[in-house]
Formats: sequence, structure tokens, C-alpha cells
Amino acid sequence: MEYLFLNLLLLPLVWMIFLGLSFFARLQLSERFLSESVKFLAMIMSLMSLLLSAMVVMNGFEPLVLDYADWIHVGEYDFKIRFIIDFLGVTYALLSSLLIGIIFRFSRNYLHKEEGYFRFIFLLSTLLFALQVISFGRALDIIFFGWELVGTTSVLLISYFYTNSQPVRHSFRAIVSYRFCDMGILAAAAWAHHYMHTTDFNEMSRLLHDPHLHTAGHGGQIALFFVGLFIVWASLAKSGQLPFSSWLPAAMEGPTPSSAIFYGALSIHLGPFLLLRFYDYFHHFPLLLWIIGLIGALSALYATAVGRTRSDAKTMLAYATISQVGIIWVEIALGFTHFAIFHMVAHASLRTWQFLRSSSLIQDFFENPVVHQHETIQRNLSVEKMVSKNLRKKIFLHALHGFHLDYFTQRSLDGLSWPMRAYISFEKKWMNLNNSIATSIFKKR
Amino acid sequence: MQDKAAFFEFNTILERIRMKLPIQNPLHSFVHNNILMMFESKEFHEALSDAGQLYRARSYWSLDKYLAKYAEKKINDKDVWDGIDHYMLHYHDQQVSDKLGMGLRDYYHHLMFSEMAFNDDDIQPEISDGLLWEKCAQKMTGTSLDLVTGKKKYRAKEYWEKYYNEATASSTQPFIIRLISSFLDQGQSFWSNPYAEKGFWAFFTQDLEVVRHYASGWQRILAHKLDTFKGHTPVQIIESELNRRNIPREEWESFILEILFDLKGWSGMVNKLETEPWQATVKAPNIKLVDFIAALILIEFSLDEYHAHSYSIDLAMICGREDVLTLRGFHLSLALYQIAKAFKLPLEWFDKYSSDELAQIIQLIDRSEKEHLTRLWHEAYENHFYREALSAIVTHDRSVIKNVETEAQVLFCIDDREESIRRHLEEINPAIKTFGVVGFFGIDMKFSSVKHDRLIAQCPPVVTPSRIVREVAKNKEGAAGFHKYNNLMGGSDLKLYYMSRTLFRGFFSTLILGLVSIVPMFIQVFFPKQGRHLRQWMKELISPIPETDLAIEHTEDGHGYTKKEMAKIVEAILKMCGLTNDFTKLVFLLGHGSTSNNNPFKQAYGCGACGGNAGIPNSRAFAKMANDPEVREHLIELGVFIPKETFIVSGFHDTCTDEILFFDIELMPVSYLKDFERTRDYLNRACKLNAFERCQRFSSPEAKADPDFALQHVRERAEDLAQPRPEYGHSTNALAIVGKRNMTQGLFLNRRSFLLTYDWQMDPTGEILQQVVLGGIPVAVNINMDYYFSCVDNDNFGCGSKLPLNLTALLGVMTGSSSDLRIGLARQMVEIHEPIRNMTIIEAPLNRVRTIFDNHGRLKKLLYNHWMRLVIFDPEVQKWFIFKEAEFQELVVEKNSIKYFKSSMDLIKQNVIADDFAEIG
Repeated sequence: MEYLFLNLLLLPLVWMIFLGLSFFARLQLSERFLSESVKFLAMIMSLMSLLLSAMVVMNGFEPLVLDYADWIHVGEYDFKIRFIIDFLGVTYALLSSLLIGIIFRFSRNYLHKEEGYFRFIFLLSTLLFALQVISFGRALDIIFFGWELVGTTSVLLISYFYTNSQPVRHSFRAIVSYRFCDMGILAAAAWAHHYMHTTDFNEMSRLLHDPHLHTAGHGGQIALFFVGLFIVWASLAKSGQLPFSSWLPAAMEGPTPSSAIFYGALSIHLGPFLLLRFYDYFHHFPLLLWIIGLIGALSALYATAVGRTRSDAKTMLAYATISQVGIIWVEIALGFTHFAIFHMVAHASLRTWQFLRSSSLIQDFFENPVVHQHETIQRNLSVEKMVSKNLRKKIFLHALHGFHLDYFTQRSLDGLSWPMRAYISFEKKWMNLNNSIATSIFKKR
Repeated sequence: MQDKAAFFEFNTILERIRMKLPIQNPLHSFVHNNILMMFESKEFHEALSDAGQLYRARSYWSLDKYLAKYAEKKINDKDVWDGIDHYMLHYHDQQVSDKLGMGLRDYYHHLMFSEMAFNDDDIQPEISDGLLWEKCAQKMTGTSLDLVTGKKKYRAKEYWEKYYNEATASSTQPFIIRLISSFLDQGQSFWSNPYAEKGFWAFFTQDLEVVRHYASGWQRILAHKLDTFKGHTPVQIIESELNRRNIPREEWESFILEILFDLKGWSGMVNKLETEPWQATVKAPNIKLVDFIAALILIEFSLDEYHAHSYSIDLAMICGREDVLTLRGFHLSLALYQIAKAFKLPLEWFDKYSSDELAQIIQLIDRSEKEHLTRLWHEAYENHFYREALSAIVTHDRSVIKNVETEAQVLFCIDDREESIRRHLEEINPAIKTFGVVGFFGIDMKFSSVKHDRLIAQCPPVVTPSRIVREVAKNKEGAAGFHKYNNLMGGSDLKLYYMSRTLFRGFFSTLILGLVSIVPMFIQVFFPKQGRHLRQWMKELISPIPETDLAIEHTEDGHGYTKKEMAKIVEAILKMCGLTNDFTKLVFLLGHGSTSNNNPFKQAYGCGACGGNAGIPNSRAFAKMANDPEVREHLIELGVFIPKETFIVSGFHDTCTDEILFFDIELMPVSYLKDFERTRDYLNRACKLNAFERCQRFSSPEAKADPDFALQHVRERAEDLAQPRPEYGHSTNALAIVGKRNMTQGLFLNRRSFLLTYDWQMDPTGEILQQVVLGGIPVAVNINMDYYFSCVDNDNFGCGSKLPLNLTALLGVMTGSSSDLRIGLARQMVEIHEPIRNMTIIEAPLNRVRTIFDNHGRLKKLLYNHWMRLVIFDPEVQKWFIFKEAEFQELVVEKNSIKYFKSSMDLIKQNVIADDFAEIG
């Protein structure tokens, strides 16, 4: 089982490194070679994950814990490379191998003759590796490594058409949101190291109940609560939850398959994945569960309202995705963890499929016997009709503008940036002062 | 004075603006158009210059491409000279060449091979001739030249772009796109826009009422502006805003056009839905172009004022500015040096002119280079093709085709994609005769299929459908189940579409469908072809499509055709082919269409003559008419003798999957079955070869080598969800040939030619010729020009890459999450196209052709303004004529072998389909 797992982890890594080296060696791998190889890779990966899942099931869902050599050694303190093979991990790994396999096959024709084909394959391979790391990583440091890789590949694929300005702008928006929330995971790791001497989520949850921890005078409950809060914070951007919802619809700039795999399936569900990893931890702080539930519920309502006003295929799907992920957050908060996993898998498959098919819509509508010309399509809900017409109109306009989320973000950023502005104005004054002193000295001479 | 005032009346300005906006339909009814149709009253090159400015696009390939073609010998020196000669017929301003002391012809030639870069600091020419350089420097020191680039600029936007950044200049776009795409939406979003009936202006003002409380920057100014304009109509607002900016009325048209062309696709769509509301996918919203213009102007001016305020700039300074670029001594010397080198000027030449005169000459040459250089190269490039094509066609020996007794007759569409299959069919069995007629077979109907009620115009966009024909189930009771099931499925598809994107219902549908969706996804991505079979099999199993019939008979309420009208239709088509007697036992009629999956441009691949739809209903209707005994009796009166024994088989050729389907075979006498199967086998063999030929342009090496695999390959392409190039459509089309089939039979035309059958001997009055030419040539030119523009500048005339396309409002596509509504064709559709104007070759007496072209408004424009070329073979005098300089001149062609033609007309070098092709058949 361990051997299988190592293969699963190292195979994409080796492939990724090979691709990277081939680029530097100017090998110019042919499109055919690339597409055949990744087909093979995805097939092997899927089979291995399937086998591993079977093993986990046969072991009665008993997680297997693996510790490897020290990563970094600082004084007495060591960071171990820790992995865990459990139900959640293999499910996510299996899902990622399968879906990426489908995307690989899809892009073989879709990106045929495309200049950036190599880039695309390399980034998707990186994603595959990063997802294995996240799926099986047992410590926050390990997860952070994969987390960053996913973020970087995602941003690079948004700006796949980097010669146009809009994709670059929107990928910048994504990276800003990502980095802002990555601070959460870093902060959580740092605090956990400090207060608990470990970032292993199992151990962290166990230590919560450890009487020694409290008596040892380390931090206390509040610090531990903040560790949990940081993790919630970290999960916000990746899953597009409030207030980090507006970058996601704008991210639909790359080729369709990359939008499908990142924002319909694998990257978007990393948020709930991280929450599930720390579920036992959150369980200790009901307030955290409340926060998770509240954010999820708000995001779900927000996204479904905004999504209903969107009239283009991909943005619409992006909001639909946010709203379902919001529900998954709520499920986690309510404690339906297994159900949340199921929901995640089902949702990822459905959205991938919808993204891939998104260009068929005109044909679908046009050939639909129920859609008639000169008759608007009836689609309002009976529940909605209970709301007065004027109010509905108002809500529509607000939703059309995303409930002014960007405006509020802007405002709060302005609010936050006062120390910076104060510093800048101070610097200006200081420079002016210097100047005036200097000129006065010169004048005297 | 009165006239002038009327000319600058806002309404007349608006009408002129409408004429210049893009004319593309919503994608569900996409038809190929000359996207510059409104510019056809100008000479081709001039129109392209104008349009290039308006669209901010390149109207020709970039110079590099032509130079690469020259390097590849796809343009040779003879083409260059011929191109110059042709160009000189219309552009013969000798001002510059006189100053340089050379003939215009030489001047153009030198210009084409000059590599001049006058005011580009990045490219510094190498100075190799010291003496010359000294001379230039001596002449130009102390001189300066003001290069005035274009006219006065009234838009501040370019100023922001130039001195600040692009993001500042276009920060209003997402806002506008959100509003307009929501307003025009045809049913893609879950909530329909509640303001759709009140009109766009009401929506816009209401929207700002809401936004203003959460607005910063320009939106706040915009809201304020709207307050001051309360109660004003959009026209009043536009007028007062433009006046306030001191923009002279003469400039309004170009000013508004410039603003509209920032979002040309959306503007064009607004105009389309206002002027032709029936083109809407579902229902056209209440929108007016004036409202949109007023909104755009208000938004733009608010942004300007905001920027002007924050950058402390006086708007009056920017508005009406002229950009002047001043060249000084050193740059002028460099320019002069380059000119001297490029035109091989002797040292004495410099002494003829003073320094200031020389500076003027530099300016003239700069202008002349910008105007003429790519045009000259384009002429040369086209000339190469024209010459080769003509030499092959003119020298083609008609007697190569042996006279064998005709076994079967097959009528195809004139489409360039049918050229290859016709060629293969004739090669396999020379006893089969093929004909090319317009694919709607003269039936101008709106058609509703048994699968859905929607009425679809099955005729070219220029024809207004006169009748409604419905497909009806033969067994009404039996079909009730089908209809019920069909509507049920449609309804649930629609519900599922909306539901899966909402919250609670989305939750349930995700749980139920989520895991299930992996199965169709897997099948469709990995086994597209089997997936299709599976779907069809399941449909057949659950609710088979009932056997149907077309209700073409005339009814009380004006639907359908009377027998006499039917006879007229049949007569017209058969006479066009020159078929009035000598019918074979079986006459095949093949409409065409194209299967593709996940393809927003599906309509562009269909039969152009059927409005982009499949030609099945037309072929069935025509066969039904022609098989009707009563119609045949009427036909005898009209001079068409279809014998009793003849049966007309209706069929359909799928240009993507290369399948041929037949309809209403059960009506055929059983004894004909053997003959039918024989011809069907030939057709299928031709299909296989056709697929094989098409695969030479694709990149699967297996499909390039093996016809059987090729057939499998093209079928897989059609069903593949991930395939951006199901087929290459009309790519490389460049010719239209009207005449007897034997004019080009046996020639390898490489799917580049529309083939229209016409027999001049059957048509003493020229009436039929008129029908053939009017029915076919404008369509051919439209397709040709659509491909031309999308090919030369795909980003601005076309719609860019297919990969990030995002379907919007059920009307069109955007690139990425928010952009202009894209027009034209995608890059993947035109990547192998060669932009060459259509050359039409007609076999008919010269005078008849001339009368037709002279008496038809559009054709005359096309011909005299060089949007197409015309060559005529007059069979009465056995001479070839070419249209040049407003008249026909006799064409002299060097004798050239077909072999040469064959090997050099291939599209991509390694894809040579040469003689060995025939052996496989």
C-alpha cells in the first residue's frame, strides 16, 4: 500500500520534472508524444488510485499513517514529511486522476495545433502532482506546498492567452485573492508550530483534548481558536466563498478545459477539502462551525442570486459552482462530513461536464421543441412570484452588479490602507522638509 | 444649404451609422455575408482602407506573410509584374514616380521590395554607402518635416490609452457589457430581465438609480449627469452632450461610430435586433440603437470627466487635438538614404530638389508606402492563383472525358465542398453524370420539422420565404406518443439546465445527476462515435421518430404549393442543369449539411443556400414534386419530359461525416432496388475517397494513409465534443465555375471551386443564365469575403481562437468572461484559408453575361468595384474574355500543363494529392 502510494506521488512528479527539463533542453516534444504520454499517465494514475481506494476499503477505512525523513531540521525541532492514506485522501486523489485524465483526452483535440499545448500539459501535470500532495499530506506544511502549486498553475492558466490584456488582468485578480488567503494557511502553520509543536491535523485535534497542552502554559484556547480561524480563512479564496467571490467568475479566460478542471472541479473543492481535514479540530470550537456554516450559507445565497442574472455560459456556471460549494460548507458545519464528500465528488463531475459542453447551448436551445420563437421562456419560480414585482426588480439590479461586492472590497481596502497612506504622506513631508533645508543651506552659500 | 442641414440631421446620421455597423446575425441563424456589404459601392481597395480604419483592423495579410509566399515561390516575379499592371489600371497617380524620375510601374516594383522604416526608432538601417549618406545628411541637416497623422481627434479615450494605460481607458467596458448582455439575453439566464419590455433606456436609468449609492469615480458622475438630463430623450442627450464638447456636426458620425466600434459586436447586434427583430433566437427585446448610443456616450464622457478631474487635465485641450510627429534632420537623412537605396537613385538626383522639396517627397513616399505596399503584394499573390487556375482551365481538354451512356444522374449543391465528391464519383464510374444546382432546389419555404414547431427558413437569406411546409407524421395516432415524449424530453432538458444552476434544486440535481454525469462524459470524450450510436439506439428504443411526409400540397390558408407552382419550381431547376429529356431511370438529388458537436458555429458549416441549415427538407420536397404524375404533366407543357420510368431519389450528403442518407425510398418501385443499390454503392465509395481527400488537410497520419480509416476518422471528428475543427468548411474557396460540367471535368480543383451547371445551348434567351448567376454568384462572393476578412485579421474581423469562447445571451460568443460580442469566423475555421477574391468563370455568350451583370445592382457593384473577377468563355466564338478596366478583354493564356496546375495548387506542400489518387479508387 505504501509502495503504491509512493508511485502515485512520484510518478507525476517525475513526469513534471521530465517535462521541465525537456523544456530547458529545448527538446520540443511533439504534440503526439505529449498527448500519448499523458493519456498513459492518467490511465496508470487512475488505476493506482482505484487500487489504493480498494485497499483502504478493505482495511475497513483504517487510515495508514506514513512518516518520512526530516524535511527541515532546526535545533531540536524537526519538520517531518508526513502523509496519511485515508478515505478522504484516496477519494480526492481518485477524482483528480479520473477528471484530469478526461481533460487530457479532451484537450488532445481541443488544443491541437495550439502554440501553448506544451505549457498546458505541463501545468495540468503540475496540478495532478500538487493534488496528490494535498490529498495525502498530513501536515499543514506539506499541504501548503501543494496548495501553492495549485494556485500558481491556476493563475498561469487564466492568463493562458497572455498576449491579451484582459486575461492577464483577471489572473492578477485571482493571484491577489489567492495570496491574501494563503496568508491564512501560513499563519495557521506558524501558530500551530508555536503552540502545539506540530501541524499534523490529527495530532492537532488530539492535542486539543490533551490536558498537558493547557497546563504547559502554551497560548490557551484563544490561540488555538485562531489557528482554526486561520484555516477557515485559508479556504475562502480557493473555493470562492464570500468575500472572495468576484475573482472566480472573472477567471474564465483560459481554454474551456482548464476552466472546467479548476473552477468546476478540483481547485474549487480544495476549500471544503481543507475544512474536512480539520473537521475534528473545528468540532472542538462550535463557534468556528457556526462561522463556516454562516459563510457557506451567505455565499450560497449570494452566488445563486447573482448567478441568476448572468447571461453567459461560463460566468453563470462559476456562480452556480460557488453556491453549491457554499452548501458543502454548510454540510460540513452541520457535521455531515461523509455526505459532504459525496456532494463534492458529484458536484465536481457535473460541473466538469457542464463546462465542457458549454458551447452546445445555442444548438440545445434551438433544437428544443419547448423553446418557441416570439415567446419568452417561462422560468420564474412560483416562490419568487410571491415577492412583489418592484422588489424583484430591485433585487435583480443589485444582483446584476454582484451586490456591489467589488465596491465594498474596495472601500474596506481603502479603510485598511490608512497606515500605508499615512506613511506615504509622512515620507512626502519628510522629503519636503529635507528639500527646504537643503535649498536654504545652498542659498546661504 | 437645406440639403446640408438635412444631411447632418441626427436621424440621417443615425441611418448612415446603421449602414456601417457589423451585420452578423445571431449565431443560430448565422449566414455567410460579405461583412463589408455596405462598402461595396466603393472600389475594393478603397473600401478596405475605410473599413480597416473603422474596424481597427488590417485589411490584408501582414507584409511578412506575402514575403514568405514570395520566398516559397508561391508568388513569382511574373506575378509581381502582373499584379502591378492590374493595380495600375485603377491607381495611377504618378506624382511620386515623376519626382523620382521613373515610370509608375518601376516605382511600384521598387516600392514592393523596399524595406523602408521611416520613423521607427527600433529599426536602424545599415549605412553601407558613405558617399550617399554624406549627401543625404548634407541635404537634410536643419530641415524638419511635420507628419500629421490623420485628422483631428475628438475622443479623449485614445489620450488616456496613450499617456496613462489601457485599463484606465476601458474600465467602463465590463459595466456596459453586463448591462447589454443581460438586456439582450434570450433565455440563457435564470431570471429574465424585468425591464425587457420597458426598453433599454428605462433599464439603464433605473440601474443607475441603484448603482449610484455604491458608486465611486465615473459612475457617480454618470448618475449626476442622468439627474440633470431627467426628462430628456436619448437623442436630446446625445445632441447636448456632443455640443457641450464642441464636436462639430460633421464629425458626429465618425465620432459615434468610433465609440460604437469599441463594442462593434454588441452594437451590431443591437442594430440587428432593432431593425430585424424576427432574427432573434427567441424574442427580440425592446431596444433601440439611439438608447445604446446615448448610454455609451454618457458613460464615456463621465469617465473622461473623472479622469480629467483626477489627472487635472483640461478636456477642451484634448478634444480636437492633432497628433503631429516631427521628423528632424537625422531622421530625414535616414529616410532619404533609405529612399535612395530602395529606388536606386543616382547622386545627381538630389541636386534637382531643394531640401524642403525633398522633405515633401519623403512625406509623399511615406504615404504612398502605407497606402499601396500591401495592396500591391496582395494583387501579386492573387495573380499567382488566377494565372495558374486559368491556365489549367483554359487549356483543359474537354475530349478527355469519354462519352459513355449515362447510367444515373446526380444533382449536388453548388458548394465548393461538393467538388471533390463529384470528381471522385465521376472517376469511379464515368457513366454517372453529376450536376450542380443551388442546394435549396428553388423551394422558398419555411419549414417546421416533426421534432419541433419552430419555423426555419430553408432558402438563401436574400430570398423571402413565401410558403410554410410542415413535416407531418404519416401515422398521426402513432406519432402522438413521440410528440409527447419529445416535448417531455425538451421540457426536462430545459428544466435541468436552469435547475442545475440554482441553489436548492441545484443541490438535488447535483446529488442525483452528479455521479451519473461521469458516464456520458466518459463516453463522449473517449468514445464519441460509439456514444452517438448509443444515444441513437436508446432514442429508437424509447420513442422512435415516426415515419413522416412533407405537406407540400397547397392548402386554404396559403401554405404549400399548387401543382402548377411545383411544376415551375421543378422546371427551373432542371432547366438550369440542362436536363429536359434524357433522364435516367434514377435521378439522385443530394442536399447537404454538416454534423458537428459542441460547436457554436454549426450554422456556418451547413448549406448556405438553405440558410445554413441541412438541405434534407428541400431535397425531399423537390423529389416529391418531381415524382408527382400531375406535376409531370404540367412539366411537359413547359418543355421538360420526365419519363414515367424515371424515379427521383431524395438524398442528403453530410459534408462532415461523409455519409449519404436517402429518404422516401419506400415510394420507389421495388424493381428499381438493384439499380438503386448499385448507384448507392458508387456514392459510398466516392464518400470514402472524399473523406480520404479531406483528411489530407487534417493532421492524423493514419487517416492520411488509409481511406477506410479516413472515413472512420471524419465520422469521429463530427461527434467529438472536443473537436474545434470538425471540418474546414469553405476554407480555400476561390473560384466559381458556371458552365457545362465537361468544362472542368477531370480537373483537380482541390475543393476550391463552386460548380454551377449551366448549358448555354438550352437557353436561347439567357433567362436561365440569369437565374443561375443570381442564385449562385452572390452566395459564392459572400462566403469568399467572409473567409477573406476572418482570415486576414482574425482578431478584428473574425472572432479569434475558439478555445476561450463563452456563449452569451443565446446570441453570440464572447472571449473569456466578458468581452465584445465576437463577429466573423473563429481562427480554427480559417487557419488554412488563402484570402483570394472570388474568380467567376462563366461559359456563355458574352453579351448575355454582360447584360446580367449590368442590370443587377449588387452584381454590377461587385464586378465594377473589383470585389470579384469575371472570366467568360464565349462558346459561340470559342474565345475567352476577362473583365478588366470596365470592359471585357480577350484572354491570352500561355499553354501550360495540367500537371503543373495539379502540383502547385495544393494547399499545403506535404498534402499533395496527385495522380496516384485515381489508382486507389
